[in-house]
Order: sequence, then C-alpha cells, then structure tokens
Amino acid sequence: MRLRWLLFILIGLSLASGSVFAEPSRLVTADGAITEIVYRLGQESRLVGVDTTSGYPEQTAELPKVGYLRALPFEGVLALKPDMLITSEQAAPARNLERLARAGVRVAQLSSRWTAEAALERILSVGELLGATEEARALVAGVEADIRRILQNTGNRDYQPRILFILAAGNHSVMLAGSDTAANALVELIGAENAAQGIKGYKPANREAILASRPDAVVIAESTPGQFDIAGWPEVERLEAWQSGHRLVADSMFLLGFGPRLPEAMAALNDALPGQREIAANDP
Amino acid sequence: MIRDHSGRLPLAPALLLLGALLAVAALASIGSGAYDLALMDILKVVAGREASDPVAAMVVLEVRLPRFLLGFLVGAVLGVSGAILQGLFRNPLADPGLIGVSAGASLAAIAVIVLGGTALGGWVTLAGQWALPLAAFAGGSGTVILAWRIASRAGQTAVATLLLAGIAINAVAGAATGLLTFYASDEELRSLTFWTMGSLGHAAWDDLVLGAPFMILALMAAPWLARPLDAFLLGESVVGHLGYRTATVKKVAILVVGLGVGAAVAVSGLIGFVGLVVPHLVRQLLGASHRVVLPVSALMGGTLLVAADAIARVVVAPAELPIGLMMSLIGGPFFLGLLMRRKVM
Repeated sequence: MRLRWLLFILIGLSLASGSVFAEPSRLVTADGAITEIVYRLGQESRLVGVDTTSGYPEQTAELPKVGYLRALPFEGVLALKPDMLITSEQAAPARNLERLARAGVRVAQLSSRWTAEAALERILSVGELLGATEEARALVAGVEADIRRILQNTGNRDYQPRILFILAAGNHSVMLAGSDTAANALVELIGAENAAQGIKGYKPANREAILASRPDAVVIAESTPGQFDIAGWPEVERLEAWQSGHRLVADSMFLLGFGPRLPEAMAALNDALPGQREIAANDP
Repeated sequence: MIRDHSGRLPLAPALLLLGALLAVAALASIGSGAYDLALMDILKVVAGREASDPVAAMVVLEVRLPRFLLGFLVGAVLGVSGAILQGLFRNPLADPGLIGVSAGASLAAIAVIVLGGTALGGWVTLAGQWALPLAAFAGGSGTVILAWRIASRAGQTAVATLLLAGIAINAVAGAATGLLTFYASDEELRSLTFWTMGSLGHAAWDDLVLGAPFMILALMAAPWLARPLDAFLLGESVVGHLGYRTATVKKVAILVVGLGVGAAVAVSGLIGFVGLVVPHLVRQLLGASHRVVLPVSALMGGTLLVAADAIARVVVAPAELPIGLMMSLIGGPFFLGLLMRRKVM
C-alpha cells in the first residue's frame, strides 16, 4: 500500500520534471513554506486553495482553506477542481492523497527536512513543477547568498551561544523545543546550541528547567501574534537574557517553516544573540 | 404528536418516521459533500451508467457510499451497545466508554502510532496496514475480558465490581495513553489528536471489510438479549427465576459490546455521545422494553451518526470537522435539553 503510493509520487514527479503535462492552471498548496514559495515565484494567480498552515503572505487569507495538511479532505480538495496539489511529506492521510491522484490531480509531495539545502531544493522543485525554473533559480541564488552572508557572521563568534527556544502554539500551551525539532535545527544552523538539553521534541515547559537553562538568548515562536503572555512566565522574565533584551518573539511559521524566509529567520535569531561573550559573561 | 395513554409514541408510526429520517440522512450523505455533483450524475452513477463528470463515479462509489455505510454501522453498534450496557448495569450513565472498551481500543491504537517505529516495529511489519485497526480491536476486546475476569468470582459476575473495574481500567489506560502522548514526537502527536477526535473522513471499502463482519455479528446477536435484559430491569435475582441463565446473558452482552465497539473504534476512532444519548431518547419516546429499545437504538444511532457526518463535511467546506467533535456538539446540548424537560414533567 505504502510502496504503491510512493510509486505514485515518483511517477508524478518524474512526469512533472519531464514536463509531459502542461503547467498547472489550478493549484492547491498544503504547507506554509510551499505556499510562500509560490508567491515568491510570482505564480500566485494559479492558486485556488491553500491549507491552514499557509498564513503568509496576507493575501492567502482570501483563498479557500482546505483544512490542516495532516488531515486533508479528499472531497474538499477535489471540490476546488485543482490540476495539481503540491504538499510536503507531512501531508496525511495517505489514502486521500492516493485518491486525489486517481481522480486526476497531480500530487507532488516534497521533502520537509529542516536544512538550508532542503529549503533551497524545495524552491527549485516548486519552480520546476510550475514551469518557473528561471524564477526559482534566481530566488535560490538570492536566498543562498543571504544564508551564506549570515553564516559568515555566525562563524566570527568568539563563544558558543546557547538559545532557549519556546513554542507557544495551538492549545498545547507553552512548550520547550528539544532535539528533533525544526526549532533545534534552526538554532544549530546558526552555530548555536540548544539550551534545553535532554528534551526530545516539544515538551510542556518546566518552570525550573527554564531557570536552569541560563541561555544567551530567548526565542519565542507564536502560532498567533500575542499568544505568549510574559506575565504568566516570571521565570522567563527573570532570565538575564530576557532582561538584557536578548530576546525574540516571532511568528512560528516564519521561524520554523524553512521556506524562502529562512535567511530572515536565521538573521533574526542571530541578532537576538549578544555580539561578544563579555556581555553575556556579566550574568550573575 | 400522537401519544398513547402512557405518554409514549406508538411503535409503528415511530418506526416509519425513523425510517423516513434514515432515508433523508442517507440521501444527504450520498448527495452532499464539498465536491459539487449534479443530482443527475449521482443517479446515473447509482444506476451504473456513465456520468458526465468523470470523477463522479469515484466520489460516489469509493468515498461517499462506504462512508455512509460505515457511519451507519458504527452509529448502530454504538447505540445498541449503549442500550445493552444501560440495561445490564441498570444504570442510565453506562455507555461503551464505561467498561473500558473505548479506552483499551484507543490505547492500543495510540501505542501503534507512537511505538510503531520502535518497540512495536515487528507488529507493524507483520500486520501492515491492518496493524492499527487490529490492535484497536484486540485492545478493546482485551480490556472487556480483563474487566470480566476481575469481576468474576466462583462462577458469579458482580455487575457493580465490573463497573468499578471498568472505571479503574479506564484510569490506567488513560494514564498509559497520556504517557505515550508525552513520548510521542510532534508528528505522531498530531496524527493521534485527529484519531482521538474520531473521523469517518478516510472511510473506504477496506475499513468495511475489516470492521463490518464484527459489527454486523454484534448487531445480529443483540436481539437475543432483549427479553433477558427486560428481566434485568426487575433485578438480577429475577433473571434466574424467569428461566434465563444469568451468567450466559452477561457473557453474551459483554461479548457483543466488546466485539462491536472494538471494531467501531478500530475503524473510526473515538466517537462519543451516541451510546449515551440514543438509548435514553428511545426510552423516552417508546418505553423501556428492550425488544423496542435495542433495534430502535441501532436504527436511531446509525441515522444520527450519518446525519451528523453529512453536516460535519459541509459546514466548513472545503475543510471538514471531526465527526466526534460534531457529535458532542449536537449531542451535549440535546441531552441537557432532555434532562431539563424531564425535570419540568
């Protein structure tokens, strides 16, 4: 079942890259980062629907929402009469994707690995699928240059910074980001270390663990603006990093999407860090 | 409404009305959805002819029809199971969740989702796509048998102990589920959240092949319980005096519920309220005789779930609401209204 399904994607992708089909005129995307890429490539006129993780840019609000990418409805997507659905590995249920493919929708599932390379590859893949290869190459060149410039900056540090990454999303309240998360991948991408050691995945925030982490910077990813209320988290407020302004509160899709705004996300994280060790060394 | 001297509806018109409601719900279920289909096309597909929309046949035959059938079966099984348990325990609060069936089934399913890549990897390779439904089914039946064993002493089964055992098993299964949730990765967490909310959104013929035999078996065995359950209403000691073997009756009742609900949870996740609300409603309208309550609960449970599902898939179209959520949203206030009305009467 799963193999047959994988075969579908592979055939779909190989046909697409061979551009046997005409370019899609009615496109549905289900993944915030992929939707962003479509807009950055100037192909948004083809979009007829997006999923609920696609909230950027703001124009996406005018498009029909087909639900959450992990619970894509078959009829809901088909009702928009798309000729192509571009989504990521996170899309589910597999059965509905397979049904869509059988109903004549070209279904492409792109890798959702959290690396800079994968982010660039995603842009190229979307470009190829939409017949906008030139635009995609140009965008990749720009994003790649931005990433390289930031990495040069982060390479000049004279200390190993530690970042405490907090996720305030959905009804899961406030959670610390441990290993095996997009947050961790972003922290390590800019050469920093995750201050929440010994945690795997996103786990409910332990107030003592926050105090014990003693990070150089605090990063808070919110799924909706204003979701994190500092008044409810005196431990975070007590942190030296928070008090000295080494903090960043930003949208979770911006920080964790690994889309075309990856360089901006990296830069924002890097800017939140103290420039030199001396500043942080003043910690009591 | 027409009511007889006891304030109840007579059975024949009630059945006719319910049959008509089911027909309406069935039409709504086959006829509505996010994808717009012309009525002509639906009729053509049902008649086996070529429709003007090339995907019409797929939408109707592969998506809506199995979804309707699965929804009806699950609703019917939950309704009957609730009626059986309420009769057996002589307790209007009993529902399939109470003796641990749902908790056991969901614990097993969540274990497959979370541990499928590690501790239960062998099981997943062995059972393939059946790994999750089969585990849920085994978990549901297993917990019922466990509760049964605990409550049985020297050939006697104490119903009160069974109820308490069910509550304790629920608590343990709930804690184990919580523990698994804690260790689940972000991705697993999201897939199990959707599973615990219950869904018919992925229904296909595969699910029917797996779940329908058990659910139909449970539905067919249920009528046999009607007269003994009536006797239970008079007290457990009366059951034996009336010539029924108490132990056998209890065993069959538990087996029917374990079999049916285990299979229902396996294919559709956790759908609440049907098992609790439907038998109550039937008793209010038609009286407490199980010869009426059991079959009508099945019919009404099925109809209600099909109707709720038809609403759930169009109300936020093109997206879809989880049916479990929809059910509680409709069932909760409805049940409260029923209670308040009874107080006045």
